[in-house]
Amino acid sequence: MRALVTLLLSSAALLLFSGPVRAAVVCLDCHDRNQFTNRVVHEPVREEQCTRCHNPHVARHDGLLMVREGRLCYSCHDQLPNRFNRGHVHGPVADGQCTVCHDPHAAAGASLVNEDLARNCLVCHDKLPLEFKYAHAPFSNGACIECHLPHNSEQQGLLKARADELCLSCHQPESLRAGHQNFPADPAGCLTCHNPHGSDRPGLVRNVLHPPFEKDCATCHGLKKMQAAVCLDCHQGVSEEMMRIHSHLTRQDGNSCLNCHSPHAGDDERLLRGPLQQLCVSCHMDVIEGYRLSTYKHPAMQNCGDCHEPHASNTLSMLKGDGIEVCARCHESQGAFSHPIGEDVIDERTGQAMTCVTCHNPMGTEFAFHLLDDRGKGLCILCHKNY
Amino acid sequence: MQRTEKYAWDDAMLKQRTARLNNVVRPRRPPGRAIRKRTGVLPAFPRPCSGKGGGRAHGAVPMVILAALLLLGICGPTPASADDSPWKWTMVLKQNLLKDSMIMPTSLYIDEEREQYYVVDSGRNRILSFSRDGELLTIFNAGRSLDTPFDMVRSQDGLIWIVEKGRNSLTSVNLKEKSVQPMTLRFEGALLYPDRLEYHDGLLYVLDKMTGDVVAFDLDLTPGKRYACSDCSEGFIDFRIHEGRLWALDNPGGRIVVFALDGAVVERMDLGDPVTYPYSLAVGPAGYIYILDRQKRNIAVYDKTGTYKYSFLRYGFARGEMYYPTEIRFDPWGRLCVTDEGNARVEVFSR
Repeated sequence: MRALVTLLLSSAALLLFSGPVRAAVVCLDCHDRNQFTNRVVHEPVREEQCTRCHNPHVARHDGLLMVREGRLCYSCHDQLPNRFNRGHVHGPVADGQCTVCHDPHAAAGASLVNEDLARNCLVCHDKLPLEFKYAHAPFSNGACIECHLPHNSEQQGLLKARADELCLSCHQPESLRAGHQNFPADPAGCLTCHNPHGSDRPGLVRNVLHPPFEKDCATCHGLKKMQAAVCLDCHQGVSEEMMRIHSHLTRQDGNSCLNCHSPHAGDDERLLRGPLQQLCVSCHMDVIEGYRLSTYKHPAMQNCGDCHEPHASNTLSMLKGDGIEVCARCHESQGAFSHPIGEDVIDERTGQAMTCVTCHNPMGTEFAFHLLDDRGKGLCILCHKNY
Repeated sequence: MQRTEKYAWDDAMLKQRTARLNNVVRPRRPPGRAIRKRTGVLPAFPRPCSGKGGGRAHGAVPMVILAALLLLGICGPTPASADDSPWKWTMVLKQNLLKDSMIMPTSLYIDEEREQYYVVDSGRNRILSFSRDGELLTIFNAGRSLDTPFDMVRSQDGLIWIVEKGRNSLTSVNLKEKSVQPMTLRFEGALLYPDRLEYHDGLLYVLDKMTGDVVAFDLDLTPGKRYACSDCSEGFIDFRIHEGRLWALDNPGGRIVVFALDGAVVERMDLGDPVTYPYSLAVGPAGYIYILDRQKRNIAVYDKTGTYKYSFLRYGFARGEMYYPTEIRFDPWGRLCVTDEGNARVEVFSR
């Protein structure tokens, strides 16, 4: 009988407290209500159900969140993960950091985004100049989403469509033809000459012009096929680099140079078609995905060119040196106090000198210090079998 | 055409007197011996049966039946993995002398007539020959004249042809005359950047890294047929000649293009999702197609129709693992050879 009463009381208590509690009654005693008030308010906040996201007592995650940020958002917005996992994914989306762009409580703009969206974007994209002498109207109006998708896209740079299509969606072909009178065909490849954000030149022509483009088109557009050989005829230094074991010399739509470089104009003397990392990703998507998904990885890898040669190399993975040289440029003293490495320390499994990458994979692993195995023992016994 | 260089024979053919000091790795089983057929191979870790009755067996009799089913391997297909692949590590081709190990070996050539393997050691500018059993025989550096050798073949007239990246040449080595002749290649006036090399029926087939096309040359280096991919973005990354057809690998397209030797495309095979960065291909004796995935560090196997069957091998430095694999190739004895630049060795696998 006593057990039955206990059971009934427990059930009643569960029924009473299992639904969403108007936790805000308590929360807002301390937390300023104004912080959660704006033109657009997140539904749980509006319903004062703070505990749908926060644990009032203790949690493993910042802000007393019940679960990790991205996972928490997707627990309600459950259609989004499938939509966001295709093509090129915006970094914060890929990392499940929704609050980089969205305010989880309230915001002035739709979708809980800051009304001044461009300011949001430029917080991260801080290498973009705030002002240009000649600026593209959508950029100067802060309308990034005129051209870019915020979450993911099939196009590089999270463009809404292929770059040329996007340009033509506003710029009429007739007016373009009028402005490109000596162009041999319908204008195409807009971004090889124009910076879509802005430039110091009229017509948004990129700041640095390729000398042959400036001088005479026929220098390159002669009788020869437009293969990389045309470029290498002038760029002898690069031509010699192509005589290495590994190189980026490929046909790549006719000319591998043009995969990364613009033949006409660029934003600096390298005439790159975009940020280096973005160019690398266009082919080596899997490498970057592996890096992104790894639990432990070399931090602050924003520029592939810090470690890898962009043209060619006689080393593995087109690194800028062997497995020690590349690391030692920054980690100067590491070899002195860690496991011995170098020419005199041979990895018996391969007969090769031990290097940093014998134990570490800077592109990421599931073990601390991006080691290849657990540093407690697993890593050591890969070689020291009788340890 | 380039100059012909004579090289010092004594320096060039260094008989490895120290070979006996090397711990020559012997194959586990005599080469050529029939290995058990794949259909008879039991998975190393068979999965318990699932579905009707599978999880409900109680008592000794059902357990015996379950065990019998497991032993008979009739619990349904198991996922393809390194463990249940029919390929077993057999031997390794490498220089065992410490401090003289290969550096970035890039390719393997197999001389069926002499029953020898030749490994191109690009980092040390030399070629190492091994017996069919994996014993190191000679180390050849053509009088120290080689400059970043990358690939090689031997033609019927006894000449050795070496792709030298450092010279951007196809270099012929005449062992009798002890001469080396580097030659640059051109096709329709354009300079070629030789990459992969095959020899078949009196012709040298050269993959041009600039265009991704394969061009056939006779032994006078007069160009002949060109095997080009009209709808590939990058051209080819590797190719093989097998049973009178040229099989070429389109890396970004993730597919194989098969040519008749007259240049006509006879077949295209999409490799699909199992591979992410196809880097080398080989066609097995039974017509199965093997694709080296350098990103995944494994080998994906497809049947004759291009249907994916299984993958095997994995990332690592130990025996049977790959760090930076660069080429796969079948030897005439049905063994699969994997050249691993990163681990500085060629590993040989048998069924």
